[in-house]
Amino acid sequence: MSNQTTINLEINGQAHTLAVEPRVTLLDALRDHLELTGTKKGCDQGQCGACTVHVDGERVLSCLTLAVQVEGRAVTTIEGLSDPGAELHPVQSAFLEHDAFQCGYCTPGQIMSAVSCIREGHAGSDDEIREYMSGNLCRCGAYPHIVEAVREAAKVMS
Amino acid sequence: MTIVDTKMKHGDASDGLLGGRLARIDGPAKITGAADYAMEHSPEGMVYAVIIDSTIASGRVVAIDTSAAEAYPGVLLVLTPDNALTIKTATDWTGAPPPEVPYEPFAREITFAGQHIAAVIAETFEQATAAAALIKVTYEETVPISSFDDPRSGEGFPIDMMTKEWGDADAALAIAPVRIEQEYKTPREYNVPIEPHGLIAHWEGDMLTLWEPSQWIDGMSRTYAEWFSIPFENVRMLSPYIGGGFGSKALPTRYGAVAAIAAKMLDRPVKLAITRPQTFTAFGGRPATRQTIALGATREGKLLSIVHRSANETSMSDVAIEPLGSVTSIMYAVPNFSSRQNIVPVNTVKPGALRAPGENPSAFGIECAIDELAYEVGIDPLDIRLLNYAEEDPHAKKPWSTRRLREAYAAGAEAFGWAKRSPSVRSMREGKQLIGYGVAAGTYPVRRTPGEAMVRILSNGTIEVASSGIDMGQGTYTILAQTAAEAIGVPVETVVVKLGDSSLPRAPVAGGSQLANLMTGAVHVAALAARDELIGLAINDQNSPFRDLQANTLTIEGGQMSSPRDAGSSVAIAEVMRRTGRERIEALRNTLPENLRNKDDHFRNFTTISTMLSPTEGDYSMHSWCVHFVEVRVDVDFGTVRVSRMVSALDSGRLYNPKLAESQWKGGIIMGIGQALLEEGLVDQRNGHVMNNNLGDYLVPTNADIPNLEVISVGIPDTNASILGGKAVGELAIVGVAPAIANAVYHATGIRVRDLPITLEKLI
Repeated sequence: MSNQTTINLEINGQAHTLAVEPRVTLLDALRDHLELTGTKKGCDQGQCGACTVHVDGERVLSCLTLAVQVEGRAVTTIEGLSDPGAELHPVQSAFLEHDAFQCGYCTPGQIMSAVSCIREGHAGSDDEIREYMSGNLCRCGAYPHIVEAVREAAKVMS
Repeated sequence: MTIVDTKMKHGDASDGLLGGRLARIDGPAKITGAADYAMEHSPEGMVYAVIIDSTIASGRVVAIDTSAAEAYPGVLLVLTPDNALTIKTATDWTGAPPPEVPYEPFAREITFAGQHIAAVIAETFEQATAAAALIKVTYEETVPISSFDDPRSGEGFPIDMMTKEWGDADAALAIAPVRIEQEYKTPREYNVPIEPHGLIAHWEGDMLTLWEPSQWIDGMSRTYAEWFSIPFENVRMLSPYIGGGFGSKALPTRYGAVAAIAAKMLDRPVKLAITRPQTFTAFGGRPATRQTIALGATREGKLLSIVHRSANETSMSDVAIEPLGSVTSIMYAVPNFSSRQNIVPVNTVKPGALRAPGENPSAFGIECAIDELAYEVGIDPLDIRLLNYAEEDPHAKKPWSTRRLREAYAAGAEAFGWAKRSPSVRSMREGKQLIGYGVAAGTYPVRRTPGEAMVRILSNGTIEVASSGIDMGQGTYTILAQTAAEAIGVPVETVVVKLGDSSLPRAPVAGGSQLANLMTGAVHVAALAARDELIGLAINDQNSPFRDLQANTLTIEGGQMSSPRDAGSSVAIAEVMRRTGRERIEALRNTLPENLRNKDDHFRNFTTISTMLSPTEGDYSMHSWCVHFVEVRVDVDFGTVRVSRMVSALDSGRLYNPKLAESQWKGGIIMGIGQALLEEGLVDQRNGHVMNNNLGDYLVPTNADIPNLEVISVGIPDTNASILGGKAVGELAIVGVAPAIANAVYHATGIRVRDLPITLEKLI
């Protein structure tokens, strides 16, 4: 079980060729093989949302996705949400302004989910934001500030 | 080493001063994915370790068959008690000298399910995980005592140092006109930081580098040094960001020893990340607790006596105490009092510290009991608290340094609209929802350990602050930048803060809600010393632009130096440094008292808790205080409980950054909502397993569980409590939340739930 396979991934608009075992998850491929550690491992079993990334524009849990499954699809991680040195994405700015995090570990996943939540049209009310952001756990308890940040970012993005 | 700068400041200039609402300066790194948490490093040649845990809770390991795992591709080493390098037992966190016996990270005699018994190290994480599943363990199993609900666990044994008594509590209770007595219980609860635990251990000769999330770099480094008999200075621990701890990342662990042993034996860096399920047994959370509280009172509700008997679970071989009388003994004025506590050994991992250990379950007991007394004598739950208000510490018999609890009651009641509460139970309703209002108070002590900090003024005018203290989300980076900026007189953008590295000046544990106060104090002292030296240089150096003024002193504001004798002209700090040819000005200062400044005491101060002062050391009793007002809605058919509204008023003294303090308060309140309604470690009584050892079954609050929260600061600066006037923040706000919710549920339904969490089957 250590047969490696070569896969081609497109992460944040850049092409990467990787030699990994087929059982390597997208999360571990990002963190251990591509040094993209902004995507976090919180549970490795699809329960916390810390590993949320976008695949073809949809939010997915990268711990429940094998790297080989995303060949030929566009993956966006927190590192690709805004260009280094360029302006922050409106969701990132709103998280900073509203102090929507403390330890910061769930934050990349929260932000990736928040971008999708707004794009999906699920930021229409505070209750709707709460519901559609509930797949991302935050143990520091930043939820009220996350709701404020998503509400504000949704205004900017509309 | 991580440098956090303040380039991305938001808000106005006053935000940079102490007390301003500056956005956290480590924020930009965290929202872009650039923040490098300890375990996100990849030293050359790194390999992966996976731990194998016992599947029985009691018995012994007879044999471990490692052959299949050893033959698996990529496997480098299978570690068991038979081949692991022998290490020494280290000094514990209290400073108690260690016994002269080896430290055994793997167990042969099993006392709880999930105890480490072996490890596999392989080239890749996937190989190590797959090979670990091939280890075959043969056990000789005995019947475990799974919890203190098992009658065989007995009453445990008394902890005399927990006894607090004055007056004659039993006699006063016996003749009290009103008597109530009930038992209150809390289950095992878990810290569950979203960043799981683990480390990367890397040996270079006899130098050990550890990337490990840590609430206490110096304490943990000392342990690693003693385990491997190397000098303290040979251990370099790095923990620039911590993905949450809540008490669970302060002490060294057995898996930490395993990783360091494996790295030494293989001479390769080893990464060991425990799995989410293992975070329920590799270290302990809050133990299960039970308390019996008997209150004796007048018919008007004035307390005459409190008799409190309590117990918490501990492991079979360790003493773990959750101080259950801590709030009981100080919240109310009572002339007769008795509190005693037992601990009950069961087959569990040794319990650990979880946000407000002691105060949290203690407040659940007394704050529910006083509510029950209010209904018993027929007065308002807020009024009974004011009637029994403690004007001084009833246990220590000392005045409070500050106690703004009366102000908190007033401000919270006003903002919440407590006056609209209908007194009788089950009297407020909207459709199928029963509505209840509840109130409860909380408190957390001010703990004090001396601190240390380095402040440098660099030639380009940058101010550098350095400490091995850590930031796990409390805001240490930010408030230390604000402290230095204010003390020296520079814009906060010019301050750079370095934390989380054992090569920096020492810091005690980030626990007991003490770090902000002791670190702002140390940085303040060091920054003033650096400022004084800068001014001395500017006055005296022959090349200084101020030399000719013959000034006695200079002022610094906005990074510009000027003289009162020549107010018109000012010179930037960088220009003064350039003209005088100084590379840097450096001030390393600590706040140790004179009698603790020798080398040994200095080391002891930062690597043990033996110098931490109690909240009643000195002339005053020092605590933070809070009150929570809660509205719940209970579905009349299904018994589901939702917190629909909450107002909390809190006294943490002076706030160094209200924006960040409010976040911490709200975080504590949310954890309290989880404790009240969701969180419960479910123990299989047959085999001692924690059945819900994952985030899908151990329920923590989600976004949809939490309403808008209003927090109100009623604190005033308390310079008895700390150098700059702050009191405890981080652990305060969780205290009192669960009883406030339980009291609101009673008001809504008429059903008194005395065992947490308050789940629907207890209400229908």
